[in-house]
Amino acid sequence: MIAPDWLREDRLPHIYCTGCGNGTVINCTLAAVEEMGWKRDETVFVSGIGCSSRAPGYILTDSLHTTHGRALAFATGVKMARPEFNVVVFTGDGDLAAIGGNHFIHACRRNVDMTVVCMNNHIYGMTGGQGSPTTPPGAISTTTPYGMSEPAFDLAELAVAAGANYVARWTSYHVKELTKAITAGMRTPGFAFIEARTQCPTNYGRHNKLRTVPAMIEHIRSHAMLIEKRDRLVREGRPVPEDIFTIGELVRRNRPAMGVRR
Amino acid sequence: MKLVIDESRCKGCNLCVLVCPYGIFREGTELNSRGIVSPVLDRPERCTNCRLQALYGRMLCGICHMICPDQAISWVEEKPFEPHRVEVEF
Repeated sequence: MIAPDWLREDRLPHIYCTGCGNGTVINCTLAAVEEMGWKRDETVFVSGIGCSSRAPGYILTDSLHTTHGRALAFATGVKMARPEFNVVVFTGDGDLAAIGGNHFIHACRRNVDMTVVCMNNHIYGMTGGQGSPTTPPGAISTTTPYGMSEPAFDLAELAVAAGANYVARWTSYHVKELTKAITAGMRTPGFAFIEARTQCPTNYGRHNKLRTVPAMIEHIRSHAMLIEKRDRLVREGRPVPEDIFTIGELVRRNRPAMGVRR
Repeated sequence: MKLVIDESRCKGCNLCVLVCPYGIFREGTELNSRGIVSPVLDRPERCTNCRLQALYGRMLCGICHMICPDQAISWVEEKPFEPHRVEVEF
């Protein structure tokens, strides 16, 4: 249940397009914060630049809207200066993977105690639909009019390899699971990375024959496969479809974390 | 409890139509004052959260509330057996 007193009611309705998945991810994050019972003046939301990074503007806490890609650097600073604060970072795929990629892997390596919610909508939505590092191969965007020819970045696997303590991936269709994953990430000391695949019907769906919001959600849902099912298929030697992405909890471990409250 | 859609926030994405297990939300047909076709409620008293939230003391289902990107769906308290004024035209 999302608490209405965590939203800036006077700023609503927000600027997101019709059916944008970012609003759903805000709901899930607020539900997780509510479940954790965090106080409002001990919680900081940090964001960079992009559609997803507008999110802290609608949440009634202290927040930082920082430069493009550098949200994790600012959040590390907040955590180092005030280790008693709970830091949540909202970021998008272009913000985190493209321009802030180096900050991302080093925040994972240092294992800074924060929760990063990445709203991965496969495209640069705010600037007009340019292809991002997570655009799937073959997808059409304004900078890849003949279809994306490069392989896409798998952000969750990257966080696992770089050393984050908790990594999960869900979609904006799986709201209950996403809320549980964000709560588990907030409980875990150290770097928690939750990738939420969201729909962008305006700039991604329009170019890829997924014009309506239910079509876009249905596309995401049908291409998601639970990681347990993928592992079972691999174990049994059965073919795994090429165009799927795995969802579920990728890793939960206990590496030494930086900035944990004493 | 009563299920309500906040017409001042809804943008008409029809995600609630997709997720509701009871089919309570139906795609609307008429434009409202903001130029948006928001969903209409079909017998909202069937909603499990409306009926049983007071009994269980917690949120039941609530998928539409969580997935609504515009925070437009909520439940409001209603007094039991509110007397309704009925006007009869002759």
